[in-house]
Amino acid sequence: MIEKREIEKLAFLSRIRLDNKDAKEIREDLESILGYVQKLKNVNTEDVEPLFHFPELKNVVREDKPCTVNRETQKEMMRMGKDKDDYLKVESIL
Amino acid sequence: MVATTIKETQEKLRKGEISYKELLSGFLSRIKERNEETNALLSVMEKQSEKIKNVSSELPLYGAVFAIKDNILIKGESCTAGSKLLEHYRAPFDATVIEKIRRNGGVFIGKANMDEFAMGSSSENSAFGEIRNPYDLEKVPGGSSGGCAVAVKDGMCNAALGSDTGGSIRQPAAFCGVVGFKPTYGTVSRYGVISMASSFDQVGPFANSVEDAQLIFETIRGKDEKDSVTSNFEKKEAPKSIKVGIPEEYFVEGMEKEVEDAIKEAISKIEKNDIEVVNVNLPHTEYALPAYEIIMASEVSANMARYDGIRYGLEFDRPAAKSIEEAYLKNRGGGFGKEARRRIILGTYTLSAGYYDAYYIKAQKVRNLIASDFSDAFKKVDVILAPATPTLPFNIGEKVEDPLSMHLSDIFTVTSNLAGLPALSIPCGERKGLPVGMQVIGDRFNEDILFHVSKKLEKIWKK
Repeated sequence: MIEKREIEKLAFLSRIRLDNKDAKEIREDLESILGYVQKLKNVNTEDVEPLFHFPELKNVVREDKPCTVNRETQKEMMRMGKDKDDYLKVESIL
Repeated sequence: MVATTIKETQEKLRKGEISYKELLSGFLSRIKERNEETNALLSVMEKQSEKIKNVSSELPLYGAVFAIKDNILIKGESCTAGSKLLEHYRAPFDATVIEKIRRNGGVFIGKANMDEFAMGSSSENSAFGEIRNPYDLEKVPGGSSGGCAVAVKDGMCNAALGSDTGGSIRQPAAFCGVVGFKPTYGTVSRYGVISMASSFDQVGPFANSVEDAQLIFETIRGKDEKDSVTSNFEKKEAPKSIKVGIPEEYFVEGMEKEVEDAIKEAISKIEKNDIEVVNVNLPHTEYALPAYEIIMASEVSANMARYDGIRYGLEFDRPAAKSIEEAYLKNRGGGFGKEARRRIILGTYTLSAGYYDAYYIKAQKVRNLIASDFSDAFKKVDVILAPATPTLPFNIGEKVEDPLSMHLSDIFTVTSNLAGLPALSIPCGERKGLPVGMQVIGDRFNEDILFHVSKKLEKIWKK
């Protein structure tokens, strides 16, 4: 049902490296789960709207403006990465 | 097992039978005695506990000592979410629920072990070792909040906070013989809680009585500007006569004989107590788990994208990675456990162009039908009763190789997450020396009625 190539593509899109054994196992697991969910095809959903969220819950929005982080929190964050002066140093991503 | 309630603790403190110091050192020594065997707690906040001398007896959570699931942030403490990826992460701030518990007099004693990123039904997916059920150490405690359920049952604390995406509070509560409560979606803030599937996730309490669970819930609920979908709701009057509904669709093939037997016996007991029991129909029940599988995996794949080793996660060895893509692949491939990888890849599949309508949109439509089933049923009854799990606690290792059979453990709990409903699991009997849990499901934002009925039911089943 799912080809090996397709699993490789999905793993790359997910940015997860799989060795051959993992890829084989995940392919089998996915086939079993996708086989199970096929039964949704039996439900008539004509004229039914998807329920992405509940209507009475409204999103909270606020203006996007810069704020200062207190020194203590900043120090805590710095502990997680290499810091350079007041900046966090991370690998370049572009 | 020496489980105690917050109310009992408060009594003892008020009467002067124990001091706060003795209370905390009692829990700490219980942890020392038991944690090696059950692996319920990942870290113990011993030093912080020693600093607590007393708490005002005026505060509602006076005497409440909490274990906190390790996906909820306590400032300065580690927060691993059961994952190798966050092994060295320390929380830079308190989650809103932690702040609220602190303000109301609750104290914290440790962080509870869990399935990695809350993905699992047995607590075998933690990167820091599986958790064991105090009823029988060869059995699983359920998951993903297994550590919370074990700690509350085994007397390491008298309360806990967990999270529930598809049953992760109620299923372990049922397997460990404690009360577990998942509130209505949107009643409790998730600010400072590590996300799994954002349209389902809710934080809720574990306790040794319904009264305690309600007490904790009352202190943590309410609108929070930092969680985009929280809401306040009005108090509801308790009904004079109670009507409970039994959905026949929950008594399905595949349910263990012992569980079915215990559930039916518990229901027959309430019929003798002036509570009216009627049948209700929830016709789309069999489609709940498939719809949940798709929506959950889709949201997981999006939420897990942040663990790339740069913003969060393992720090990769730059010289060994030739490109940023290779670094991501390496980090995430090596960092995530098997179940997390499986769900991320499945979610990537169900969200990809060409499959999105057939899987994701279809599942969201079915979700609407499931929510409508419940709305119709709640026109006739105050609460719905259903088994919390289809089986008794199973053996460690029994289902790890078969993800589908593992996911079937959640078949009775995912419906409340799909429909955003509040649901409690209450111990209602035992079979083969293991506990069986009954779910009491309420209508959305009807927590007051749910607790009113649940306290009556708890009394009946305790006799």
